Amino acid sequence: MLQDQSHIDSTSQPMETSAAGLVDRLTTSLPKIYRSYTVRVFLQAIITIWAVMSLTFVLVRLMPGNPVDVLIEQILTAEGISYQEAYDRVAASFNIDKDATELDQYFQWMGDLLRLDLGTSITSPGTKVIDEIARFLPWTVFAVGTGLLISFVLGIIAGMPMAYYRGSKLDHILSFFSSFSTGVPNYIWGLLIIIVPGIAWRWFDIGALRGTYDVGLTPGLNAAFILSALEHAALPVFTYVIAILGTWMLSMKSSTTGVLNEDYVNVAEARGLKERTVIRSYVGRNAALPLFTQLTISIGFVLSSGVVVEEIFVYWGIGHLLFQSITVRDYTSLQGVVLLLTAAIVFSNLFADLTYGLLDPRVRVSGEK
Amino acid sequence: MPALSPETVLRVDDLSIVYRTDRGDVRATNDVSFELKRGEAMALIGESGSGKTTISLALIRKLPKNAVVTKGQILYQRENTVQDVLGLSRRQLQAFRWNDCAMVFQGAQNAFNPVLKIRKQFEDTARAHGWTDKVAIRKRALSLLELVRLDPERVYESFPHELSGGMKQRTLLALGVLLSPQVVILDEPTTALDILTQRAIIDVLNDMQRQLLFSIIFISHDLSLAAEMADTVATVYAGEIVEIGAVDDIFYRSLHPYTYGLLTSVPTLEHAQDILQSIPGSPPNLIAPPSGCKFHPRCSFASEQCQAESPQLQAESASHLAACWHKDRLLASREEGA
Repeated sequence: MLQDQSHIDSTSQPMETSAAGLVDRLTTSLPKIYRSYTVRVFLQAIITIWAVMSLTFVLVRLMPGNPVDVLIEQILTAEGISYQEAYDRVAASFNIDKDATELDQYFQWMGDLLRLDLGTSITSPGTKVIDEIARFLPWTVFAVGTGLLISFVLGIIAGMPMAYYRGSKLDHILSFFSSFSTGVPNYIWGLLIIIVPGIAWRWFDIGALRGTYDVGLTPGLNAAFILSALEHAALPVFTYVIAILGTWMLSMKSSTTGVLNEDYVNVAEARGLKERTVIRSYVGRNAALPLFTQLTISIGFVLSSGVVVEEIFVYWGIGHLLFQSITVRDYTSLQGVVLLLTAAIVFSNLFADLTYGLLDPRVRVSGEK
Repeated sequence: MPALSPETVLRVDDLSIVYRTDRGDVRATNDVSFELKRGEAMALIGESGSGKTTISLALIRKLPKNAVVTKGQILYQRENTVQDVLGLSRRQLQAFRWNDCAMVFQGAQNAFNPVLKIRKQFEDTARAHGWTDKVAIRKRALSLLELVRLDPERVYESFPHELSGGMKQRTLLALGVLLSPQVVILDEPTTALDILTQRAIIDVLNDMQRQLLFSIIFISHDLSLAAEMADTVATVYAGEIVEIGAVDDIFYRSLHPYTYGLLTSVPTLEHAQDILQSIPGSPPNLIAPPSGCKFHPRCSFASEQCQAESPQLQAESASHLAACWHKDRLLASREEGA
């Protein structure tokens, strides 16, 4: 109603005040902006993230225990002072306003977020959440990203022959492996790798591979550090590869099977194209298309998928930070990490949506409409 | 290799093909023999499932994996050398395909790789057969696209989805003759197209054949198309050629009840038919085909002889052969009717 009126006003009075003109311009241009595909999906992404964040805010506070209780418990058992004394001491050492209600905290936090400020840790005052994330995140991105890429490439390579020779012995063996690899969760693979080759066969020293690089090395572009980082990442990466590989193989197999029945593959063969050309440009390229979307989407899940694996290998990434924050009920850090994981998933979906057109010319056209 | 007459580009002898399936062997093609002359257009007509497509796929050795050629040879002659397609090595086969015999498949809608431009697909094809000069490929492709009455520059740089169905069909025709093959096989070249586009395709085909002098085998259940385009018509029933002859012989003096049945099942402009005749029954099961003449269960002229013995193709005139025990009775009944 309001919009309609301002519209009528503007048409009936050509010479109007600038404020009314602005309203009018907004009411006509806003729907137009919203109709733009990119703007629309972006807005939807922001709303999704906001909803998840609000939910997280409530949920972390519904967890039994709070950061103060956790520490009071520790101090009480260690020093034997009164509860009130312990409470005051802890509250003083923490970076919190005791009188702030949950609603105050919520608006405070949302306001900070708008300024891209994740706040400071509750349990270690002075440490910015963003700094903590910056410290842990690169290792996770490195390990899981490498695992994801290796498994993606291997999966595509192994999936195609499965489709070409489906029903053969090769297909049966690879299919069995794929289902097994997908069915067993990654932390079980991690445990298996530690227990069997690590402890039983002593192929490597598990103890020495804790952390993300050898103690005493300075991070930077030197050979010793890079080698050590690779060495420490090897087992988590291997775990991720094994655990994700099967999914890619099965996806590629079914995708290739579908493409092999397409007319254009048949025609390509009738055209006397070299087998290599047909496999690469006709079968492979079309079969891998849907997998690229899957890959962009899974980049989002990358960050969260390794939480337990990182604990198992004592590989200090974002999962380690998440785990720690939960243990001591560090609400702000916890919220920061969850925000990051959510944003990663939402934005990788968005990215997949917006980039698919680059790979598939058919989507390019409909995307512009 | 046997010597072929100089005018012959393709000769098929006693071609028999079975499909191995779980339920048994499907005898899709039985002792099919025919000859195709330079510049000739031959139509294979028959119901769905009669084996037309199997024959055409065998001609470029593109049969499904479970198909086995049990008998016969497929001889192509070009510049006085004869080769049997069934005996080619993998590399020879790759060189043979599209260069000597191109096949325009049914349903051109999905014949092009959706992620590659038309240009790339012309180049792929030419390069696989030893062309290296992109400019020369482009020149040839554009002239062919022009021949099929498309806007050459625009189509050449398009993605397949940017073309309409009729445009794709014509583009595929242009691609089909890119390497100047001697034989072009067209599988239902006009189905799934509207009537105006069908008209355009037929005109384009006639034009192209006149200019490029290739031979055509086309498969169709559209008899009007066959009448218009073909020099020779072969009727295929249950995997066998039951009648073959010049187009006028088949359409005006057909000698096989099945051909006659096909002809009377379509309306014509000349004769005002009140009721269209349809052929009773359905095509036979090719795993266990009927004894004797395979058409006898559906034939109004069938006798005991038809059940017991399979008739051979017999020459009625030099170019008109039919496999039927009761040609005379068919002729008599037609005269009565007329």
